[in-house]
Amino acid sequence: MSWKNYLMLCLSVIAVVALSVMYVPGVGDTIEGGLLLFLSTNAQ
Amino acid sequence: MRSSKIAKITVQILGIVLLVPLVAMATLRLSHANADGPSILFPGGALVSGELHQGPEPDWAFTRQIPTIELQLYDPLSSRLIWIIESEGRIFVASGYMSTFLGRLWKHWAVQADSGDGMAVVRIDGVRYERQLVRIHEGPILDGVAAVMGEKYRAPVTREAIEAGNTWIFELAPRG
Repeated sequence: MSWKNYLMLCLSVIAVVALSVMYVPGVGDTIEGGLLLFLSTNAQ
Repeated sequence: MRSSKIAKITVQILGIVLLVPLVAMATLRLSHANADGPSILFPGGALVSGELHQGPEPDWAFTRQIPTIELQLYDPLSSRLIWIIESEGRIFVASGYMSTFLGRLWKHWAVQADSGDGMAVVRIDGVRYERQLVRIHEGPILDGVAAVMGEKYRAPVTREAIEAGNTWIFELAPRG
């Protein structure tokens, strides 16, 4: 993939992820829950 | 030629793999910034919902059963979840790791509360209380605070550690 196309892909990924977290119900909670589980599992 | 192409693809895949969680975290952080209260991981905005307590000081003994409360500062306007410690009828919040650079960076709210006017609002069980954060540097009350932190949260805190500045204790005092 050329760097120009890769940059476009990155911008698309940023838009899709950000919009999903903001507007799709449950996505933000799921990510936060996963992060919390990771932190509580690995924290000393 | 072939190896450089593989390296390029690897870098690109790695970039996407890192980008997704970074964007998700940044979006969550930003979207919580104006929310009515914090989440477990991210600070929130002003505490706006809930009855505003008026009248005499309540009996704070009920907070012994409450693991965390929501604490909002005015400068900067942000809120976070925090432990609450009740001792001798007074309530306190704590900020640990304050003797390290990373701790002070992480717990920047405590630095701001200590250097500013300390005006705050706490929300406990859906009721908001206007308070003022007053840092307690020393004194026998810290024995009780440290004991409660040990019993309630299993936090190995001592009065000596507090007086040495490793852990900062703020009283949630009535506004004067």
